[in-house]
Amino acid sequence: MLSRVADSMYWMSRYLERAEHTARLLAVKLESMIEQSREDADSSWSRVVAALAPEERAAASSDAFAITQTLAFDPANPSSLLSCLRNARDNARQVREQLSLEVWENLNRLYLKLQPMTMEAIWVHHPAHLFREVLQDLHTLGGVTYSTLSHGEAWHFLELGRHIERAQLTSRLLDLHFGAAASVIGETPKYFDWLVLLKFCSAFEPYCKAYTAAIRPEKIAEFLLFDAEFPHSVRFAVERVCAALLHVAPGAPPNRRAAVERLAGRLKASVDFTQIEELMSGPIAPFLDDISRQCEHIHDAVYASYIAYGAETVL
Amino acid sequence: MQHEAAANVIDAPSAGPGREGPYKNYLLGAAYDEMFAADGTTRAHYAQLESRLTRLAPEELHRRQQACELSFLHQGITFTVYSDKQATERIIPTDLLPRIVTAAEWGRIEAGLKQRVQALNHFLRDIYGDGRVLKDGVIPRSMIYGSRHYRREMRGLQVPHGAYVNICGTDLVRREDGQFVVLEDNLRVPSGVSYMLANRDVVRRAFPNLFRAMGVAPIEQYPRELLAALRALTPFQHDASIAVLTPGVFNAAYFEHAFLARQMGVELVEGRDLLVNDNVVYTRTTSGLKRIDVIYRRIDDDFIDPLAFRDESSLGVPGLFNAYRAGSVVIANALGTGVADDKAVYAYVPRLIRYYLSEEPILDSVETFLCREPKSLSHVLANLDKLVVKAVGESGGYDMLVGPHASKAEREIFAEKIKADPENYIAQPTIQLSTAPTFVDGAVEARHVDLRPFILHGEETVIVPGALTRVALKRGSLVVNSSQGGGSKDTWVLSN
Repeated sequence: MLSRVADSMYWMSRYLERAEHTARLLAVKLESMIEQSREDADSSWSRVVAALAPEERAAASSDAFAITQTLAFDPANPSSLLSCLRNARDNARQVREQLSLEVWENLNRLYLKLQPMTMEAIWVHHPAHLFREVLQDLHTLGGVTYSTLSHGEAWHFLELGRHIERAQLTSRLLDLHFGAAASVIGETPKYFDWLVLLKFCSAFEPYCKAYTAAIRPEKIAEFLLFDAEFPHSVRFAVERVCAALLHVAPGAPPNRRAAVERLAGRLKASVDFTQIEELMSGPIAPFLDDISRQCEHIHDAVYASYIAYGAETVL
Repeated sequence: MQHEAAANVIDAPSAGPGREGPYKNYLLGAAYDEMFAADGTTRAHYAQLESRLTRLAPEELHRRQQACELSFLHQGITFTVYSDKQATERIIPTDLLPRIVTAAEWGRIEAGLKQRVQALNHFLRDIYGDGRVLKDGVIPRSMIYGSRHYRREMRGLQVPHGAYVNICGTDLVRREDGQFVVLEDNLRVPSGVSYMLANRDVVRRAFPNLFRAMGVAPIEQYPRELLAALRALTPFQHDASIAVLTPGVFNAAYFEHAFLARQMGVELVEGRDLLVNDNVVYTRTTSGLKRIDVIYRRIDDDFIDPLAFRDESSLGVPGLFNAYRAGSVVIANALGTGVADDKAVYAYVPRLIRYYLSEEPILDSVETFLCREPKSLSHVLANLDKLVVKAVGESGGYDMLVGPHASKAEREIFAEKIKADPENYIAQPTIQLSTAPTFVDGAVEARHVDLRPFILHGEETVIVPGALTRVALKRGSLVVNSSQGGGSKDTWVLSN
């Protein structure tokens, strides 16, 4: 497969994962506001902002309307929902001939639906509805991709992008509740915030199934980090990254493959063999940072080995 | 998709067929009408469509039209218009009413186009080879060697089967007398075939019963035929590694490039995906470098290789031309084909057909006056108010004079330009494009149309029985250009 195509597939998928994450956080947050006091709502907004727009935009406003505007529709915000969808679509367009008609149409339709919307119009009705709808559309797109696209190399690049992104997003969320970033927010999370965290990862019911409805931060951390079966856990995502890497670039020279697979194996070992008790006894932040950094290293290695390699090295 | 001759004359509407219902605004002018004869009776091959439309409520037609536009938008069959900082995606409007061509009419068009493309291929082989046609004085040497589309670099290069033009889109129009005549050959990188196929897809869905009842010839095989034509250019045949070379997503025809690659099951590549080493062309893949045997290029000659041609081009592939000369890769269409579709050579095509094939041309061309010939020059200067004058090497309506529309002052200025450089100009009489029924604001009206069939030439010549019909959606307009309010129609070629 063309290296450029792999690049577009990978980024299309990363952007879609980010869009899904953004839509879910906004939907959950807007829904939960109804049940929270004003102060509680504000502090959890700052967590959402920190999760979705890590840098300069963080402290801009505490007004729900303005925040939602920035996180969902601001074209100048490169990580807004709309920007993510536009980037995903631009990448899909680059590889239009590799996608099934159904995949392209679903993505295109979603973008065209969202693109002309204004916050004013959405805010009048229950705004969470829109983000639920977007989630629904993105899930449909995921299903359509699964069932209409051949599970060949292109598909594995989609898998790779999605799960690297997911591992990083989930680590970031955990960091905001358990790690160093939690102190930036100020407030320590309350019972309600733990519930919301689970919902941010669509993990509430799966968590209850595993640990009953007793909300215990340590168990939440364990579930979101190390559960082997839950699709939004870090461990699950890492497992998928490793699986995808086995299938991409089948004809690449062994030394290039080894460079990538060694890094992936190391990350897998750290999520497979670390126990939550060790982490909770000290600061968890270094561990979360390490996961994020390892994901970046894998990304760099994939590019160096399969996508942006110098032609002179293979001639 | 430019169409300058289309701007040639104003239509003078006369009384319509005097029907009620959807046809009450249908005006018959001086032009040939595809559906109604001059006396207002319906031509036989349009009878079924006509009666179907009478029974169809305008709202229903409107609904189908909207469904069709939405489907185009969702599929991404769009072109992008750039203004300021905003990029807007637009669809090329499709008119749902099919343009119908009878089997007999098509037979003649097909034979005429095959003859024409064969003669043009002979001509290209000749002028890049022995130059027999020049020695025999059939066409002036200066016209060829002076053309900016003549590529000296192509001299003496052997192309597979001697086929320079592998994909050709020829624009035809129907004259007042009902004859199809050739307006323009597009021998470089003709586009529009994806619209032919996309239109068929939506129009067949809009009129399934009519489609079945009328026995319309299929066109779905086009991508397969294109693939076969490309494969025929390499000795590797079924193992050949083929790629469509696109300038990228910002090109107006990007949808078509991606569409054709997908339909053929070949790779879509950009210049940056390719590299040349030791005169072999490779693509950069995740598993390493992969050799490419045939390139269906959708990039103009000028931009294809910055080392051989324009050095500021970032779309092309450095070294590609040398690999091509070395014979390790085939490029379709060959480079340098543009010399055969310029407006002066156009005037010679009937002579070229007689010269190479010893046959009379089956399809007429539009009468063309070459200002380089003194007799024609004086005729042109005396009749500037009736003629359309065009610069030879230009396309897209640049440097031209539409006599009947121009002011006296404009004509005088242009006359000076012609006198200063007569070799650079040709003139043609104004042409009436035929009209065809088109759905406009809830009614059926007559609009001017042209016809662009696509000719494939690998080892042999193949024409899929269909075409892109372009339609000027504005009343009375003869400009079918998509950037100026033109749309397109599905073309139904009947099988018997």
